[in-house]
Amino acid sequence: MTTTETRTAADVRSPHPTTPSHPPKSPYEWSARGFVAPGVILVAVLLYLPLLWTVYLSFTRYNGLGSPEWVGLENYVEMFADAGFLTSAANTLLWVIGTLVVPVGIGLGIALLTWNLAGGIWLRLPFLIPYALSGIGVGVIWSFILSSGGALDQALAVVGITDPPRWLLDAPLNTVVMIFASAWQGVGVNALLFTIGLQSIPKEPLEAARIDGAGGFRLFGSVLWPMLRPLTAVVVGLSIVASLKTFDIVWAMTKGGPGTVSETLALTMYKETFVNSDYGLGSAVAVFLTVVTLLASVLYLRQQLSPKREF
Amino acid sequence: MTNRRIIAGSVAVVALAAAALTGCSGGGDGADSGSNGETTGTLDFATDKAAWKGDFESLNETSGGDADITLKVTGYSDADQYDAFIKQSFRTSKAPGLFTWHTGETLTELVDEGLVAETTDIWQKAIDEGWVDESLAEGYTYDGKQYCVPMNIAYWVMFYNKHAFEQNGLSVPTTWDELDTVATTLTDAGVTPYYQTATLFTFQWFQHLVASTDPDLYEGLTTGDVKYTDPEIVEVMNVWLEQMENGWFSDPGSSTDPAVGLKQGDFAMIDFGTFYAGNLAGAGMTPDDYGMFAIPAVNGALEETPVAVESGPICVAESSAQKDLGLAYSEWWMSDTAQTAWNEAHGDVAFNPKATVSDPALAELGSEIADGDYVLYDRFFEAMPSDVVNVAIEQFGAFIANPGDPMPYLETIQAEADSYWASQD
Repeated sequence: MTTTETRTAADVRSPHPTTPSHPPKSPYEWSARGFVAPGVILVAVLLYLPLLWTVYLSFTRYNGLGSPEWVGLENYVEMFADAGFLTSAANTLLWVIGTLVVPVGIGLGIALLTWNLAGGIWLRLPFLIPYALSGIGVGVIWSFILSSGGALDQALAVVGITDPPRWLLDAPLNTVVMIFASAWQGVGVNALLFTIGLQSIPKEPLEAARIDGAGGFRLFGSVLWPMLRPLTAVVVGLSIVASLKTFDIVWAMTKGGPGTVSETLALTMYKETFVNSDYGLGSAVAVFLTVVTLLASVLYLRQQLSPKREF
Repeated sequence: MTNRRIIAGSVAVVALAAAALTGCSGGGDGADSGSNGETTGTLDFATDKAAWKGDFESLNETSGGDADITLKVTGYSDADQYDAFIKQSFRTSKAPGLFTWHTGETLTELVDEGLVAETTDIWQKAIDEGWVDESLAEGYTYDGKQYCVPMNIAYWVMFYNKHAFEQNGLSVPTTWDELDTVATTLTDAGVTPYYQTATLFTFQWFQHLVASTDPDLYEGLTTGDVKYTDPEIVEVMNVWLEQMENGWFSDPGSSTDPAVGLKQGDFAMIDFGTFYAGNLAGAGMTPDDYGMFAIPAVNGALEETPVAVESGPICVAESSAQKDLGLAYSEWWMSDTAQTAWNEAHGDVAFNPKATVSDPALAELGSEIADGDYVLYDRFFEAMPSDVVNVAIEQFGAFIANPGDPMPYLETIQAEADSYWASQD
């Protein structure tokens, strides 16, 4: 018996079918509200008000001193007309695609290969350790490896490659190698999440599939992948959001350069605001990035997690 | 009833939040002085030169006895984060009594908003006492009044590896042709002549090439009368390009500490501020290992060789509760006692001619530039509008990383300059 079956027609029409319009408040409810109120106020003051303030600033010219000057849509016009912004947007898109293909893909591969394997946890552990590092730390480590004459170039010289690619100086190569550096950090946690997903799959359908002769790619494509879908949706959703706000590793490795060729939207937002003291333009980039992130997250998760979708 | 409660609750939340926000944003128009009148005690000092924190603190030994003021130093290692902190601090009652800043347009912004305390009396006393040359006041003067005092001055000169010069039979060049000969000789011997990077410090070779080709050309860039796309600037960039094509500069993508690079002989020369002597000492170099010389002018016909000078200020917040204490320290800071102690602790050329410079090589260079045929000009960082500086540094970095036709880079810088100068009309 479901709740729907017990509802009356009047209940269905009402937005709150099972609650009277003016319920009496018990002392418990009032005290509960009292406990929640500080949290609500904190969230409003520390999260929503700064958000509204940022939206307001995006319509102003402001250098961080004095009072903001209202300029309407000027910052947005300037933002979309700027070739540097378009490069940032393209690089951010590359980050989104790259982090989906590389760390999520490799993470899935490691999870599949080590799943049900004796000692699998020990095989996954080395991949997980870099996740404990900060993005800046990862950036510093990899800039030592990838800078001109760095560890990688020296290693290549040993095998006779004396004119290696300029890893961090040429675009889009610098963005691509930074995606791999980021993948080095993120692949372990993806592997861990996929492993949890694989372990939560019931044994019966797997055994049934195996009895029917499925194995290898067929087992993965027809059984494992569909059953991993809820977890994949979360991993991919998190990956999209994380890649849209990529900042620290790029800041540590190239500062968005040479010039602006490896900038991401988050870096552009930071540079406009805190390096150029153009708080209005920086806020406009922040608003754009927020809208894109929210849209991408909502659209993706709604599409992936819709209960109507069948395996 | 419930709706009214919800509305009342919402209004209360919004009012609280608005009060919080107002508290955060108050004082933006230049709050009144909150000075408590004290001129002795412990002074809060904020600086973006975190690496110099120990040097500043070591001055307490002298200032404690001399002015009865000790510094409580908060050092920030991220300059952008520091700038944002200082700007926001003006909105609160916690503005530091003393803080380091930059000359040029960013100081103008603070003065225009009435955020920094006037120091005209301090400057007058310092000039009268012979603690500072009157010409230095120019960068600190707005509508005939002075604001802040100089923290330091630094000349942008060439540091060189003495061993690399000796091994190749080279002596310090005094003309541009001699400098080119030095670079050619070093290249032929397999030594890269100059250090260069694609990040942050990308402007110094450009500033020297322009200013020492034609000082008026450099001056024109600072006022917007000369465009970055003008043929004279393009020609300068092509000189730079030719030198890069000659292989005269180090790999701009290297992450090796340049002080270590100079010590190892990865390159033989590095164009930097005189304060860089401290970095070289930190890398284990002594004056036996490195020397300094003023970079010869490109244009040999110039009567005086232009030398870039950088002066960073120490300021007092107008709204600080420690305004009087900060001003008292600023006055002491200008004295020869303070500057001798500072030079002992930190080591650089001194803006106070009566101060004793502890490093003999720096003392000699300072005297040579002060007394010889040299003329000082403001470093690119402070001389140009900051919007233009930021774009120019990026574009010079891109040019250094990918040497080629300079026009696309110059056009990008000029587009920013056009936008800036248009907004000033």
